[in-house]
Amino acid sequence: MSPSPASIPPAPADAGAPLYLERNYLNARRGPWSWLTTLDHKRIGVMYLVLTSAALFLGGLFAMLLRIELLTPGPTIMSALSYNRTFTLHGVVMIFLFMIPAIPGIFGNFFLPLMIGARDVAFPRLNLLSVYLYLAGAAIALYGMVHGGADTGWTFYTPYSTTTVTMVWPILLGAFVLGMGSIVTGLNFIVTIHTLRAPGIGFMRMPLFVWALYATSIIQVLATPVLGITLLLVAVENVFGFGIFDPARGGDPVLFQHMFWFYSHPAVYIMILPAMGAITEVLSAFARKNTFGYKAVAFSSLGIAFVGFFTWGHHLFTSGQSTVDAGIFGVLSMFVGIFTAIKIFNWTATLYRGSIAVRTPFIYVIAFLFFLLFGGMTGIALATVALDVHWQDTYFVVAHFHFIMVGGTIAGFLAALTYWWPKMFGKRYSERWGIVGATLIFLGFNFTFIPQFLLGNEGMPRRYYSYPERFWPLNVASTAGASVLALGFLVVLASLLLSLKYGKPAGPNPWGSRGYEWKTLSPPPEGNFLTQPTYPRMPHDYDDLNPGRGGH
Amino acid sequence: MSAETEHKHAGPGRYLAVWIALLLFTALTVALGRMHLAGSWGLLVALAIAVVKSTLVVLFFMHLWDHGGANRLVLATTLVFVALLIGLVLLDSATRFPLANPPTEATMRLMPPGPGAAPRAVPAAEP
Repeated sequence: MSPSPASIPPAPADAGAPLYLERNYLNARRGPWSWLTTLDHKRIGVMYLVLTSAALFLGGLFAMLLRIELLTPGPTIMSALSYNRTFTLHGVVMIFLFMIPAIPGIFGNFFLPLMIGARDVAFPRLNLLSVYLYLAGAAIALYGMVHGGADTGWTFYTPYSTTTVTMVWPILLGAFVLGMGSIVTGLNFIVTIHTLRAPGIGFMRMPLFVWALYATSIIQVLATPVLGITLLLVAVENVFGFGIFDPARGGDPVLFQHMFWFYSHPAVYIMILPAMGAITEVLSAFARKNTFGYKAVAFSSLGIAFVGFFTWGHHLFTSGQSTVDAGIFGVLSMFVGIFTAIKIFNWTATLYRGSIAVRTPFIYVIAFLFFLLFGGMTGIALATVALDVHWQDTYFVVAHFHFIMVGGTIAGFLAALTYWWPKMFGKRYSERWGIVGATLIFLGFNFTFIPQFLLGNEGMPRRYYSYPERFWPLNVASTAGASVLALGFLVVLASLLLSLKYGKPAGPNPWGSRGYEWKTLSPPPEGNFLTQPTYPRMPHDYDDLNPGRGGH
Repeated sequence: MSAETEHKHAGPGRYLAVWIALLLFTALTVALGRMHLAGSWGLLVALAIAVVKSTLVVLFFMHLWDHGGANRLVLATTLVFVALLIGLVLLDSATRFPLANPPTEATMRLMPPGPGAAPRAVPAAEP
């Protein structure tokens, strides 16, 4: 099935290149000040890696606390109010501090210029500003967490969010500031893609990760302001007493849900589209085959971005939204499935008759395909109004969106991290421990969330801290799975960190990939390239290795 | 890009005229706000004035009048999405079933349970 890694032929450009570039972007300048004031997109990507990974582990800690609480039917380790605060913090940290900024912030910043042959992004200072906006937003939200936290859930639904005594304001303000950072990143990427492509890289020759970033950036720029407006309206209602969402003052609480989900549903695609882009890159590299249907994969990213704006009402099926709107949103939601299916079929076709090398990143690709398909198909079921009425606010929904957002986004994130790690830091991690970590994460994830599908189907509501005893066995299974998942993350973290000190030098292109970003040295020099690369072929063009197999 | 940044903008006269127009529209909004127009007309007129003012700002202060092509396309795209948000939300409120138990003055005075639900002055329910 697969050639052994040693048999992967090195790319021709490797000949004569150093295995590890001694003077690179990491050590060209020294000291903390050089990092805090850096305009280098690669360093900004590394800063995002550190910050969002810390957020991932903080959110994961909250998740483990929740699962331990749910280990027994009654109170286990916390009170009901603490439980409400913990699931709110879990959601806020994971969504606003990890899943939305992670892949664009880390890999978008690091690899977008490398992939289009540019020296940096279009607005390097704006890029640095986005890191500080992230830090400021996180600090404000953290202030709220330390001073009691909020118990509204990450959705901040009115009227509860305007009447709760918990510290919801700092967290709302933090989300507002984080949103500004997200807009800045999106704007920067759009301008970069339009104006800084090297000669030879037309729109139809951009790597597909760049296409995915482009689609993501459009959503970030168009949707995020609505989140800001919504959070401001909540503030205006509270401070000035305007009746916007409060029915007692002539407002409409469902209006809040409309406005919140107009941002937050497309935000799901902010999380998953870059993951899809990364998966496309990794899949081509490890199948050693041109991406099947380049144009279809590129345009389906834009399709998902566009249709993603027409689906928000499926979160409101049981909230008092009119049945006319519910029907329209139900049908429109299913269109997302069409564009996602285009991607899945093209990925499968890319694998077909490929020369597959099963390495750590590839395991995450397979995991991603499984999670996306499972989460996507349950999403189609949930978009059916008559079914959703029964599943709304049960663990079925929790399991569904964790499959898409956690399974999909985290598998994409880890595939990207393990694929690009040698380029970012110039070192190889232990392949054995990488595979152990990936397997633990895949198994742990399934053991955590498949029981939750069953729990939801049996009627267990989400956001309850106690439950009848008949739900006990499945909850124990879910907590056991979460423990395996957590162990998997620790294995991945340890193997990557240890590789920085003990890893072998990676060389410019350890995977023999034909992606454009591998045309430079590892780690890249400060100015990205010692000599400007040329781009005579499509990215991931392996035609000469696969005579007669086709690909486009 | 450079061609746009080097583009010559009109002199201060145009900006002054737009600024005065914006001030006049603001005064008009305040004046109309005090007249208490019947029904929803007050809201409709206020929104119309706001649209005119934001159009002036976008066209002249943000230079869309001088720039074409991609910049206009970007604005048009955002307007489509604003229309989408407003359109589907209005469709929702226009097509909801009437409530089987519409709120009365007594139900409107009920406060949500839970910590910190302080009593709040509630206006009388509309008939």
